[in-house]
Amino acid sequence: MATAVQMSPAAVQPTGLRPGRLLSFYAVAAYLFLHLPLLILAAFSFNSSKFTVWEGFSLHWYSAAFHDAELAEATWNSLIIAAVATIVATIVGTFCAYGLWKRNSPVLSGSLYLSLVTPEIVTGISLLAFFQAIFRFLHLQLGMHTVILAHVSFSIAYVVIVVMARLRTVDVNLEEAALDLGANEWEAFRYVTLPAIWPGVIAAALLAFTVSFDDYVITSLVAGVDSETLPMVIYAIARRGVNPVVNAISALIVVGLGGLILLSERLRGGRTT
Amino acid sequence: MIRLRRLFLAPAWIITAGLFLAPLGIVVVYSLLTRGAYGGFSLPWTAESYTRLMDPLYLPILLRSFWIAGASTVLCLLLGFPLALFIARSGARRNLYLSMVMLPFWTSFLVRTYAWMFLLRDTGLINSLLIKLGVIHDPLPLLYNDGAVLVGLVYSYLPFMVLPLYGTLERLDGTLLEAAADLGATPWAALTRVVIPLCTPGIRAGSILVFIPCLGAYLTPDLLGGGKSEMIGNLIQNQFTTARDWPFGSAISLVLMGIVMALLFAFVRRDREGLL
Amino acid sequence: MNRRSFLWAPAMLAGCARDRRPRLNIFNWSNYIDPQTVPGFEREFGCRVRYGIYESNEEMLARVMSGNSGWDIVFPTDYLVKPMRLNGLLAGIERERLTNLRYLDPAFERPQWDPQLQWSVPYMVTAAGIVYTRKLVPAPTAWADLWQDRLRGKITMLDDPFDVMGACLKKLGGSINESDPGKLRTAQSQALEQKPLVRAYINAEVRDQLVSGDVLAAQMWNTTAQQAIDATSEIAFAYPSEGYAVYPDAMVILRESRHQDLAHKFIDYMLRPSIAAANALAARTTTTNSGARKLFPESFRNNVTLYPPEDVQARGEWAQTMSPETQRLRDRLWTEIKSS
Repeated sequence: MATAVQMSPAAVQPTGLRPGRLLSFYAVAAYLFLHLPLLILAAFSFNSSKFTVWEGFSLHWYSAAFHDAELAEATWNSLIIAAVATIVATIVGTFCAYGLWKRNSPVLSGSLYLSLVTPEIVTGISLLAFFQAIFRFLHLQLGMHTVILAHVSFSIAYVVIVVMARLRTVDVNLEEAALDLGANEWEAFRYVTLPAIWPGVIAAALLAFTVSFDDYVITSLVAGVDSETLPMVIYAIARRGVNPVVNAISALIVVGLGGLILLSERLRGGRTT
Repeated sequence: MIRLRRLFLAPAWIITAGLFLAPLGIVVVYSLLTRGAYGGFSLPWTAESYTRLMDPLYLPILLRSFWIAGASTVLCLLLGFPLALFIARSGARRNLYLSMVMLPFWTSFLVRTYAWMFLLRDTGLINSLLIKLGVIHDPLPLLYNDGAVLVGLVYSYLPFMVLPLYGTLERLDGTLLEAAADLGATPWAALTRVVIPLCTPGIRAGSILVFIPCLGAYLTPDLLGGGKSEMIGNLIQNQFTTARDWPFGSAISLVLMGIVMALLFAFVRRDREGLL
Repeated sequence: MNRRSFLWAPAMLAGCARDRRPRLNIFNWSNYIDPQTVPGFEREFGCRVRYGIYESNEEMLARVMSGNSGWDIVFPTDYLVKPMRLNGLLAGIERERLTNLRYLDPAFERPQWDPQLQWSVPYMVTAAGIVYTRKLVPAPTAWADLWQDRLRGKITMLDDPFDVMGACLKKLGGSINESDPGKLRTAQSQALEQKPLVRAYINAEVRDQLVSGDVLAAQMWNTTAQQAIDATSEIAFAYPSEGYAVYPDAMVILRESRHQDLAHKFIDYMLRPSIAAANALAARTTTTNSGARKLFPESFRNNVTLYPPEDVQARGEWAQTMSPETQRLRDRLWTEIKSS
């Protein structure tokens, strides 16, 4: 493996680049803003009363959440769908961004723009109609597969945009240099450009995962009888009025996913990429 | 040179053509049909759904949506840029901080919106606190107005701004800032004349990713705005649900998409680089 | 939400794989059935049931409209039965197979939307009225009370064109199913007049704000109100004196269903007085089954919100299917109200 040219400046960060006091203070405030609703949700998940008037500490909403088979299945479905859709969309989207970066294809980038611009309900209805038309010939029905396809379809544009923004900061000549030094196209991509855009790819994957995990409108239209997702179940409960079971679920998700992230950070040893 | 690129673009082509363009074609077909007697669509072919849009009822709705989406985007930019800067400079803990931005968004959108309703209500946390501290006597009307909708939208789409911004800021070469300092620039000048111009791709990407969903939003205006201020997203949603007028809903959507595409085109043509 | 107690998914997924029994897919409103009804059916008839829920007719219709959704039985509101039939979505009901039809309340034996009961079987009934907190004195008794200036910013209306227009039409002394454009416009002007007083157009979520005092009175369906009343005695429900809308729901079998025989058995099962009574008690709703009513405990039979006295019932008016032109006009009027 050829030694990758170390392009990331993070390893050689001059001291002037550490976040200053003002910036750090702002960051704390911003994170507070972002997490305040979460904290409220968590606080009320321990409320013994159904309403948002504190009445006493209770864990029974958590027990209700754990004993709900429908909820368990929906969570599982959501995780699988989001994982598969994220992986596919990130790979396809990164390759696509790279290809467009080399030389633009107006039709493809125009279509990607269009897919961003389409209102969610239109995407959902159009995919539903499309699947109906095809399934008439293939004798299939709506299910997890249709949801995953739908998620990949709308996530790709997000991935392309984020990766492309990162690609624009990479010097085109680097790959030229690599080619001059005897690498083939794939090696130039794999060992020069990819490491340079890697943080962008990660950011794109995070975005794709979020968009997929949280999607309601499109999923509810193309999900079949058996592929209920977590947003669908939560929507159903929440729209009937405030219900702390939803709070409990949200708190569990945050703790669960947050824990996973902390764990992966620990495993990577905090290495900068 | 070309062959690898073709291979890289192929999967995107297949997915876009099959899962986006073909379904979109169906929507175009719908928009030219008539509403079925009791919902859905049927023949005859007609452009009536489009001519209906000329009615003066719809323009204010569109303008209001553009205003709210625009305001949300600007707010996201102002709030998101410092945060992205902070994360980009955090060294080893970058990914952790980035994930912390995304974390709230793995709970349900609806649940987060309800949490905001709880915070902003007349008897909600913010008003209760302010009254207890003696700052105000009567509760402030924080909920069920445009302000609440803005808060909800900014809150929902902040990560869409932070992520692309971070993507470009992380790449920023620290030596450039050192050079600027050596040449006598103040931190503010370094920021406005070095950092910001270099991360324009991120700013553009983030703005698009925020503006467009905000334009088509319907749940947030409904819940936080009290359903009193109809936006274009509500109008479209209504056509596909209560009104069961798929042709009209399709027509509105296509017109909206057309307007936004035209704006994007103008926006992008200004500079040499495209967004994608 | 309290169905069977399982632990987490993988066990369930593995278990589902080999089951050979036929499976019936039922799509119903949330909180509209007794938790033991479906397990009881599964045991007695040796089958499985997939029970899904929805929150609105529109949600159900969007999934079912394509004719390939996978559901066997759904529960539309009465005014949707005709459109669904005309769109070819329904399989007919064979009356001979339903031995328990005799338990239906006489008022629902020949309903206006399906006089021969060839397409649907009535299930439960909902009505729209005013839910309010007892802090509000004097208590509201008419739609007109929701137009009072003293309630500015403290009332909410349902986010539903038919309900809001219905309240306006009743306030003016008309019919909720009005189709005359002139009268509809007059009703709309009432809604426009009221809008500055309205805190929000909101559905079931308002319950929380009623309890906390942000909202004093709200237009609400009686079943939702009953659920709130169950939770706290601070809340009460009133049937407006000018009249109100009534929405019966019905069970229908979808044409795409591959288990029509089993579907009929389910409907017949739901018509059994004991089952119907259990459903109404658990869901806190008004049943269309007179056999069930005889089985109710005294307190429930006389529940004022769900089973009002005769004179109150006389003021109720059933919602009917609108003609396409009326639908279009009403949609436009609603857009005008919402965007004003």
